[in-house]
Amino acid sequence: MTAVTTSPAEAPAFLRSLRPRGLVWTLLCLHRAALLFWVLLVAVAGGALLWAYGPGERGLWIEYRTMRCASPDENLSCDFTGDAYLAYDMATSLGSLIITVVPFLVAVWAAGALIARELETGTAELAWTQSVTPTRWLAAKLALPAAVVASGTALLTLLHRLMWPSNNELRRWLSWAWYSDTAFRGNGTVAVAYALLGLAVGVLVGLLVRRSLPALGISLLCLGAVHFVLGVLRPYLWPPVTLTNRAEYSSLSGMPVDEGALTSTGAHVPDPCNGSPACLKQHDIVGFYTEYHPSSHFWPLQLVETGIVLALTALAVLVSFRLLNRRAGAAV
Amino acid sequence: MTDTAMEAAALGRRFGRDGDWALWDCTFRLPAGRVCAIVGPNGAGKSTLLAHAAGLLRPTEGTVTVLGTTPAEARERLAYVAQDKPLYPQLSIAETLRMGRELNPGRWDQGVAERIVADGDLDPHARVRTLSGGQRTRVALALALGKRPELLLLDEPMADLDPLARHQLMGVLMADAAENGTTVVMSSHVIAELEDACDHLLLIGGGHVRLAGPLDDLLAAHVLVTGQDGDLDPHTVVESRTTGRQLTALIRPNGPIDEAWQTAEPSLEELVLAHLRSPEAPVLTLTGEDEADAFEADEQEADAEEADAEEADAEEADAEETTV
Repeated sequence: MTAVTTSPAEAPAFLRSLRPRGLVWTLLCLHRAALLFWVLLVAVAGGALLWAYGPGERGLWIEYRTMRCASPDENLSCDFTGDAYLAYDMATSLGSLIITVVPFLVAVWAAGALIARELETGTAELAWTQSVTPTRWLAAKLALPAAVVASGTALLTLLHRLMWPSNNELRRWLSWAWYSDTAFRGNGTVAVAYALLGLAVGVLVGLLVRRSLPALGISLLCLGAVHFVLGVLRPYLWPPVTLTNRAEYSSLSGMPVDEGALTSTGAHVPDPCNGSPACLKQHDIVGFYTEYHPSSHFWPLQLVETGIVLALTALAVLVSFRLLNRRAGAAV
Repeated sequence: MTDTAMEAAALGRRFGRDGDWALWDCTFRLPAGRVCAIVGPNGAGKSTLLAHAAGLLRPTEGTVTVLGTTPAEARERLAYVAQDKPLYPQLSIAETLRMGRELNPGRWDQGVAERIVADGDLDPHARVRTLSGGQRTRVALALALGKRPELLLLDEPMADLDPLARHQLMGVLMADAAENGTTVVMSSHVIAELEDACDHLLLIGGGHVRLAGPLDDLLAAHVLVTGQDGDLDPHTVVESRTTGRQLTALIRPNGPIDEAWQTAEPSLEELVLAHLRSPEAPVLTLTGEDEADAFEADEQEADAEEADAEEADAEEADAEETTV
């Protein structure tokens, strides 16, 4: 039983040591179509964002100036959208959309192609009866895609931040807010966290369901639920700033959280009136409060949400390994 | 040759909490270097047993030991080909073999694997998904043998093959077993083809070991008797059939057989079929521990009178027979 390995062509030792081996080689070879798709997707999204950052924004600014939107007089033509705006909007929307959709694509792929299909067709057992333990098999299936997905998503996030107009006037005209769902997801660390969660959820569901098609649907639903719930909870993940005003609601620039009326005891109550003074008096309303997140809360909100998502990811990974331990029989 | 390749002790497996027992109380021992056939009807538990040996299933009770250790510990030294020959359809044959090399570092023998593929006139660049069932089997066997296993577990390996490929691959397997001392365990329905290839038999029925032991010893422990309807005491009757006044029976002799009976040594097929037809026949496990004895018995059979040999075999069988 001697080792008989044919060495590849004469390559320098350091290059040969970089050659992917073992499970890494196997994973790359098995999923090269998915890898190619991922590279193309990142290239398309990245290209769109880069274009928007450079020529797109320049063209938009020129169009904005020539439409004389910047002039203080009312200018109706500003309500119309020119070609530059349409192109810029399409590029930025494409970039943001891809960043938002990536976790779902990763989840579907992980549940179906990465895990469930192997369990369904028995190729997982083929791998486990080579010299590879199921634990290493799963670890490789988590680590390598995680590295690829995280680096690609991180790159897109950086490009998205780069694209985000530094020109305040332009941003106001576009009515882009830092707290809008796509902007929040595209400009911070949550994008990478959600992509990793997509991978972990996909793997877990794949191991649980063990059939590609149902696994694919269930992983979508699970990730969608987390996505939705955290989207709803997002404003409450960090203490908001409260503004009070005797006469009316304060105008704010930031993520709105809550607003209502103040009684003389200082209690926050829902506004029972529609501004009628008699009504206010009757309900003992002495002012109004507004809770919101200023743009300085961007990073705290990002980091708390990222932390929650990464904790869920870790949980899913932990459960996956335990599940594999039970499913893979004595082979673990 | 006294090493144990595979051993089960009271092995039982139940699927689901209230499910049926796919295997129960399976106890047997397979010495290293043997070519063992696992035969039994569909759903008898052959695949379940092989999957346990490959470490893919955990016993509900009892233990299975391969190559002197747990299946997980022996992973690098055993190869397993599942019944449906799973392979990655998107890989080419060459890539499949490369995968074998990558996943079995330090063991892989590219030459062996490539030769098996080349013998089937397969294009190494063909995708696995384009292959026929028989061609897939060939690639799966190439992957298994390329690993240079000490124990080769094959679940219905020949089912998809045409007679020519079957004969050729069987030859490859036997040559490999002889050259490297590989222990081969294969399940099969086709009893006839096993007769030449195998020297050990494991008959499984209803999730239980019915017959186990060296093939020659098992055959020698049984006698096919024909004659006028009569009493077969004190012999153990495995199966008997009466046609008119003529009775044919497969017995395990306990002592000398009455001269009135015509006796013959059963073929493997007769032995297996008789046991499959009579599930209530007592279990017989021959350990084959003492190889010298077995040879002696063979020689006696060749030289001495038939009756004497049968007596000797009967005693041996008697000593080792276990009844459930």
